[in-house]
Amino acid sequence: MTLTRRAFLTASTTLGVATLAGATVGCASPTTASPGRLTLWYSKDGLSETVLAEAVRRFPADRLNLTPIGDGLKHRLLAAMSGGAYLPDLTMMGDDIASYFPDADQFVDLNTVGAGALKGQYLPWKWDSGTTSDGHMIGFPIDIGPSALYYRHDLFAQAGFPSEPDEVAAAVPTWDDYFRFGQELLRALPGRYLLPDTKMVFTYSMAQQPVKYFDRQNHYLADQDHVRQAWDRALRAFNLRLTAGYGGAQDQGQSVDRHAAWNAGKELSFVNACWITGELKQSAPGTAGSWRVCRSPGGAGNQGGSYLAITRYCPRPQEAFAVVSWLLSPENQPRAYLDAGLFPSSPAAFRDPRLLEPEPFFGGQATMAVFARSASEVKPAYFSPWDITISDTYTDELTNVEVAGKDPAQAWADAQTKVTRLLRHQGVI
Amino acid sequence: MSLVGNVGTLDTPGTASPVQAGRRARWRYLPYYLAIAPFFVVFAVFWCYPLLYSLFLSFHRWDGIGPMHFVGLANFRFLVTDQAFWLSILNTMVIWVMSVIPMTILALLIALGLNSTIRFTGFYRIAYFVPNVTSVVAMSLVFSSIFSEQFGILNWVLGAVGVDPVPWLTNPWGIRTAISVLIIWRWVGYNAIIFLAGLQAIPGEVLEAARVDGASPVQAFFRVTLPLLRPVLLFSVLMSAIGGMQIFAESQVLVGNRGGPGQAGLTMVLYFYDQAFYYNDFGYGAAISWGIFLVVVIFAGINWRLIQRPARREGAR
Repeated sequence: MTLTRRAFLTASTTLGVATLAGATVGCASPTTASPGRLTLWYSKDGLSETVLAEAVRRFPADRLNLTPIGDGLKHRLLAAMSGGAYLPDLTMMGDDIASYFPDADQFVDLNTVGAGALKGQYLPWKWDSGTTSDGHMIGFPIDIGPSALYYRHDLFAQAGFPSEPDEVAAAVPTWDDYFRFGQELLRALPGRYLLPDTKMVFTYSMAQQPVKYFDRQNHYLADQDHVRQAWDRALRAFNLRLTAGYGGAQDQGQSVDRHAAWNAGKELSFVNACWITGELKQSAPGTAGSWRVCRSPGGAGNQGGSYLAITRYCPRPQEAFAVVSWLLSPENQPRAYLDAGLFPSSPAAFRDPRLLEPEPFFGGQATMAVFARSASEVKPAYFSPWDITISDTYTDELTNVEVAGKDPAQAWADAQTKVTRLLRHQGVI
Repeated sequence: MSLVGNVGTLDTPGTASPVQAGRRARWRYLPYYLAIAPFFVVFAVFWCYPLLYSLFLSFHRWDGIGPMHFVGLANFRFLVTDQAFWLSILNTMVIWVMSVIPMTILALLIALGLNSTIRFTGFYRIAYFVPNVTSVVAMSLVFSSIFSEQFGILNWVLGAVGVDPVPWLTNPWGIRTAISVLIIWRWVGYNAIIFLAGLQAIPGEVLEAARVDGASPVQAFFRVTLPLLRPVLLFSVLMSAIGGMQIFAESQVLVGNRGGPGQAGLTMVLYFYDQAFYYNDFGYGAAISWGIFLVVVIFAGINWRLIQRPARREGAR
C-alpha cells in the first residue's frame, strides 16, 4: 500500500483530533490516585514489606494500593499536590517533616481521627516532632534514628585500651574526653583515624542539643552559642588530626573511601544513628564480630526518622488512620526492625525478646539496649522548615576548612552571612 | 476528495465575495491545521506552558505546596548577588574548556587512527561509541571508585610510579579534572565517529595531489585535511557547547548535590536542581533557570560570531 497524500492527511487529522480530545479529557483527572481504594506512597525499605502484605489481607474493605517509590517521593508528592490530582491517601514523610508545617492544612490533623489515645505508646519527643506548634499533628511516628558510638573492639583491645562497651562509654562521657582518648589511641595505632570528618562531629553535636536554630514560634534564635560550640568542637577534632578528612562521608565519592577504610580497619570509631548498621554490614562484611556500640560521647541524640501522614484529599480518613495505627503499632514495630532495620518509635518494642538477641556482627552484643537508652534520653527539640539548609551551610563550610584549607574564621563568617542571607530571602527574618 | 483537490484553486479570484472566500478558506485549511496540531499541542503543553510558567514562578516565593507569594524582583536581586550562582557559571565554563579542548584533539587522533585501520574496523568504531550510550550515572559510580582518594585505582597507579596521591574528589581542581575526564571519556568516541565521517568525505584526489606536489604527511594534515574538516570541527564544538552548558549528572554523582568541597563541581544546572528540587525553593529555582538562559544566549552569540567571521572574510575577498 502506498502512502497517498489523502491517506496521510486523514491519518494525521485523526491523530490531531485525538490529541486535542485527549488534552481536554486530561483535565478531568481524579483527585486521588485510585478512587475507591486507599493509596499509600512509601519509600522502598521505608516500611516493612511483610507488615504491609499482612495489612492488605487484614483491611480488605480498604483495598490498599501500595506504591513503593524508589527515589524522590517528595517530588512526586509536591507535583501531585500542586496539580491537585492523582494524590495518595497516605504518604510517608522523612525527617524534613517540618518543611510541610507551613502547609499543614494539606494533611489531616491526626488528633481529629483519634491519634491522641495512642500518644502514650510512643516516644514523646518523636510524637511532638510530627506536630506543628499550633497542635496540628500531620505525621504518625514510623522509625527513629538514635545515635551511638560505633567502635572497633578488636583494635581498641589490641592497643591496650578499654574495649568493652561499658568501659568505653565510661572513658568517653564527653566529646573532649573522646578526643583525648582518640589522641592517645592514635599514638598506639598510627596510620588510622578516630572518626571520619568534621561534618559528623557537628551533625551529632547538634543532634544532642535541645534547641536547634529556631524556637517553637519559628523565630530565628538570636543566641546561637550552641551552634558555635558544635562548630568549634568539629574544628578541634580536625586540628587534633583525628579526622580522615573526607569531603562529607555521605557523598558517593567519599563513601568509596570510607567503605574501604572500614574493611582495612582504618576507621577506629564513629558516631552515627542506628540506620548505618545495614550499610556497615553490607559494605564491610569482613569486619563482622569486630564492632561494638556504646553510648555516644556527649549523650543521646537523634538523626533521621520518618512519619506517615494522611492527605486531606483522603475521603475516608478514619479508615486510613485505622490502617496507619495498625501498621505502626507497638506490636508490629519489632517486625519492621527485623525486616527492614526500622528502629522502633514505640518504647514497648525495646523490650521485645526478638530484638534483644545477641548479634554476631557485634560480637554477641545486643545493640538494642544501647540504642533504646539513647532513644529514651533524646531531648525534645523543635525543627524548623529551614534546619536542613542551615545545617548544610555550616557543614559545607566545615568541609572547606577540612579539605580545602579555608581559614576557619573566614569560613564561620561566610556561613553566618549565607544563613542570614538565606533566611532574609525566605522572608523569615 | 474535493477538499484536497480544490486547494490549488483557492487563489483564483472572482469565484466568491472576499469575505465568503476567507471564511471558506479557513474551513478548507482546517484539515491541514489539524494535521500539524499534534506537534503544536505537545509543544504548547510540555514546552511553551512550562517555559512561561517558570517566568511567572520566578517572581514568586513558593515551596511547592502552599500559596505563592509575589516577591517582585527579589529572586533576581538575590541571584545577581549570589556568589554560588556566579561560581556555578565559572565552574561550567572551566569544565567545558577543560573537557572540550583535550576531547577534540583526542577525537581527531582517534578518527585518524580509525580512518587508517584495515582490520576490525567495525569493532573499533563500536568500541569507541559504547561510552556514549552507557548510563551516565553508572559511569560516574565507576569513576568515583577510580578517583577515590585513598583507595582509588588512579592514585594506586600514581603511587606505583612514585607520585603522591592526589585528592581528586576533595580538591577543587581535582574535582573539575575528574568531571572533565568523565565528559571526555563519554564524548570522545562520539566525536571521533563524526570526525571519521568528515575524513572519509575528503576526496582522495586532493590528498594525492598534495603528495604529488611534495607535501609531507604532517603538511598534508595541517594544510589539507584540517581546513577541509572545518565544518565538521565547528559542528562538534557547537554540539559540545550545547552539552557543556548542561553538565549535571556527572557532577551530581561524583560530588553530590552541593557540588563538593569549595563547590568546585557546582555547575549551573546542578545549582538550579539543588535549589529547586533539593531545597524546594521553586521561585528561586525558576529565577536561576532564567539566569542560565541569559548565559546561554550570550554564549550562543559568541559562538555565532566565531562561526560567522571566517565566512565574512571569505565574502570580502
